[in-house]
Amino acid sequence: MQKKELMTDSLILGLSSGSSCLVTCGMVMFPYLMAGSAGVKRIAIDLSLFLLTRLVIYFILATLAWYFGQALFSNQVVRNVVPGILYIVFAVMLVWYSISKNRNQECPAKIVKTVNNHRLVPIFLGIVNSLGFCPALFIILTKGATQGTLIQSYIAFLAFFIGSSIWFLPLPLAGKIRKKEVLKTIGILATGLAGIIFMIKGITNLIGGIING
Amino acid sequence: MDNALTSSGMKKSFGRSLLYTLPMFLITFMFMTGGRPDFSRPASALAMVVTFLLVNILYFLMHYTGKTDKLRAILFIIFALSLSFTLINNMLETRNSMSFSQADILECKIPFCHLVIPMMILPAAFTNSIIFPGSIIGGFANIASMVVLWLVATLVLGRGFCSWGCFYGGWDDGFSRIRKKPAIKKISEIWKWMPFAVLIMVSLTAALSLIPTYCDWICPFKAVTEFEQVTSVESATKAVIFVSLFAGLVVVLPVLTRKRTQCSFLCPLGAINTVSNKVTPFTIKIDKKACTECFKCVEVCPLFALSTEGIKEGKVSVFCSKCGKCVDACSKNAIHFGIKGVPSGTMKNFSRNLFLFVSFLFMSVFSAGSIINSLQSLLNLIF
Repeated sequence: MQKKELMTDSLILGLSSGSSCLVTCGMVMFPYLMAGSAGVKRIAIDLSLFLLTRLVIYFILATLAWYFGQALFSNQVVRNVVPGILYIVFAVMLVWYSISKNRNQECPAKIVKTVNNHRLVPIFLGIVNSLGFCPALFIILTKGATQGTLIQSYIAFLAFFIGSSIWFLPLPLAGKIRKKEVLKTIGILATGLAGIIFMIKGITNLIGGIING
Repeated sequence: MDNALTSSGMKKSFGRSLLYTLPMFLITFMFMTGGRPDFSRPASALAMVVTFLLVNILYFLMHYTGKTDKLRAILFIIFALSLSFTLINNMLETRNSMSFSQADILECKIPFCHLVIPMMILPAAFTNSIIFPGSIIGGFANIASMVVLWLVATLVLGRGFCSWGCFYGGWDDGFSRIRKKPAIKKISEIWKWMPFAVLIMVSLTAALSLIPTYCDWICPFKAVTEFEQVTSVESATKAVIFVSLFAGLVVVLPVLTRKRTQCSFLCPLGAINTVSNKVTPFTIKIDKKACTECFKCVEVCPLFALSTEGIKEGKVSVFCSKCGKCVDACSKNAIHFGIKGVPSGTMKNFSRNLFLFVSFLFMSVFSAGSIINSLQSLLNLIF
């Protein structure tokens, strides 16, 4: 897969994942990130810690995905066909997520309520948020596993991280955003759209894989 | 006196309507002929005369009957059909095919359309490059002229561009008028935010890949203009997407819902135009004193711009494309064309006259070339 295409795909996934994280977890995370005096400096530090933790976790996942991918997808036929099937399955899950009315009950970051040390909260949130195994993360794991080199797997996860982090950047300003419902709606629709894009990509990969396989 | 207009208040006498049409008559004459009509080629002359008469008769009737939407839609639909016809004709003449090859991309021969604009902004800002393989200046449908036309029209008309300038809008506008009553009445309003989701996705992916991703993968109008040669599974998938989206969003859903579903649920440029409605001087206003809350306007609005709550509060949303359908549907003339800063219920006639002149002139000038070309080609084919 070309570097550009790899980055574009991963960014789309990140965007979809970020919007769903924000929709499901935003309401849980927001009070913790904003708690206390909520000065700009504090918020910036907390948000940076949160994002940095996510980045570290994603690099670990990228390494693991690539390592296990080398063993699992060594066969050419499997390499051509399985990612296509996984794409379709996870993309369907992503679309299902966007149309599901129960999505608010699925936030893994709710566990954060059990953490008492406020200093650790952003780090804990980062871990919980990046390991909240949503369909988009499954797709990026598949992508990382099917890359030829470890660097490519890192690139995929880095683009995924950037795409998902964009949604968190306005979080400190969340209190001032008037039309939160509108942003939430656009986020959900973007998630569904990403699901459709990856479903199509999965079908194309699968057909291409079968023809070439 | 202007404040107390009745439902027929927008109608004018024959003489007065002629007087209002005179400036349009002169400007379109100058634009189409350059001041010197050429009758040496009969097909070309006939096409020009027919287009000239069509435009001016429609504008005259807008004043004479006081109706806007149906007369606008006639030119709008003809514009969409003729543009597709002209594009296809041009491509068949220059490359013998509606599909473009890699060579056409490398030689920057792809006609530009305004739907690419949202994807051009970020790459142009960060890389100083235009990510569309078209001609910047000169040649058919070049980038510079289209961007300038869109920018001017959007700043003046706001989302009015979608009903008075977009050469694709006429397709789903036309299909949305086929049935008298909608077969599907309830559509969740959530979907009207979809163009913003599409805009975010295509802008960022285009910025990263430096490929106009909307044109490459999504645009339904590829089905009636041009498309990539089918040489692989990927290009075949794209062709299936283009045709499916065109059939679904431009034909089937508009027929079933009487709404412009492609414009409402997909178009990323529509999202930008929606935002531009905030700065345009023209708007649609609700005269709360005259409104009886019958909500006919909400029912007929093709772009989900009106809601019952909004009408009660006297508000029209930014999704409005100023097509005039609600204005025509209101028997009390409570919903009307307006100018920002002017209180609702006042200067109704003046606002309508000013808006019609600007918007119809834009549509006439923008559409005339392709209508004349298509008529000329048709006449050449027949005779």
